[in-house]
Amino acid sequence: MSNKNNKKKNVAKETDNTTRNIAVGMILFVVLIGAGFSVLSNKTNSKVSIPSTVSAADGYGIVLNKDAKVKVDLWEDFQCPNCRNFEAVSGGYLNDLARAGKIRVTYHPMTFIGPESILAAAAAACTVDSGKFLQMHMALYESQPAKENSGTWTNAALKVIATTAGDTSSATQACIDSGKYVNWTKNVEADAATKNVNSTPTMFINGKQLDQTHYLNLAALKADFAALGVK
Amino acid sequence: MAQPWVTLVARLVLGGVLLLAGYLKEQSPSTAQMAVRAYRLLPVGIANFFGLALPWLEIGAGILLIIGVTVRYASIFGGSLMLLFVGAISQAWARGLSIDCGCFGGGGEVAAGHTQYLQEILRDLGLTAAAIFLFLYPHGKLGLDKAKIQGDENEQ
Repeated sequence: MSNKNNKKKNVAKETDNTTRNIAVGMILFVVLIGAGFSVLSNKTNSKVSIPSTVSAADGYGIVLNKDAKVKVDLWEDFQCPNCRNFEAVSGGYLNDLARAGKIRVTYHPMTFIGPESILAAAAAACTVDSGKFLQMHMALYESQPAKENSGTWTNAALKVIATTAGDTSSATQACIDSGKYVNWTKNVEADAATKNVNSTPTMFINGKQLDQTHYLNLAALKADFAALGVK
Repeated sequence: MAQPWVTLVARLVLGGVLLLAGYLKEQSPSTAQMAVRAYRLLPVGIANFFGLALPWLEIGAGILLIIGVTVRYASIFGGSLMLLFVGAISQAWARGLSIDCGCFGGGGEVAAGHTQYLQEILRDLGLTAAAIFLFLYPHGKLGLDKAKIQGDENEQ
């Protein structure tokens, strides 16, 4: 009797070990494949389409006035409320400097807030080739949806925003429709990761991070630029 | 005996939290990387790698705990992870950083006054306690490990 019981137990043990080992093996496999895929897909990829003023050397950012002396780098996400606040306070001033050619601005549109950030950044990149990026940049913040990823920013909606921003070129419309620069946004994101950008907006002037209190203080920002001879 | 049931609950709580935390982080890998960088503990390259690998390690440990396989190892991993988080959050707090722990996705720098360090630390300490219980009593209800360990009794 007890012998029989023992036997049963042993059989149960072996069966169970198999299930258990298969389970452990499968889970290890999933973890390794998942982590491996994640590492590979979050790297910059030099083969994707990029807008005309973008290069790997500039962290895949969109560059305006590439020959100006004072260099500004701006990391932002079109869905980020703080970026909209920053744009509302300082955007007009920065745009004036950029239009006057006084600063070299590199825009790094990040997309960590979600899918609609990717669509917006890709659409903004489409307006680079027609020279309407600054207008599109402003228009996107003006139309920023109150809620993130709420379904408001579709390609159809972004085409309308581009048109109202003054970019009526059919190439831009086709570019937005085809998602031409969607994969480029991953490069911007991956590059920002290597630059230790941990919040948006993040602004560097000549490689130095802007004082945290100057983002929403236009007078202080102007003083920072004045110190570098930009007025 | 209540212990096998407590073990089951502890497994489901710790495993469930790990699985959920891993899943939510994996939804936005670049945010997970940002969250790790914001602790300012690791060199940027290593922090970025950790941000990508951690969600999958959490998912793996979470599944192991939920189905009840290699509970003791998974509890050592889960408990160590929680203590690591407690240490990381504490140092951020002590250094006056303003960050979201990024425990369930999100993360990165937040406005001063929007941190929740104490809640985050207490939660992770609670989960550490669950992990310690599982280390001491890994065999409970509805676990794949159970039958094997019964057969293994003379090995222990």
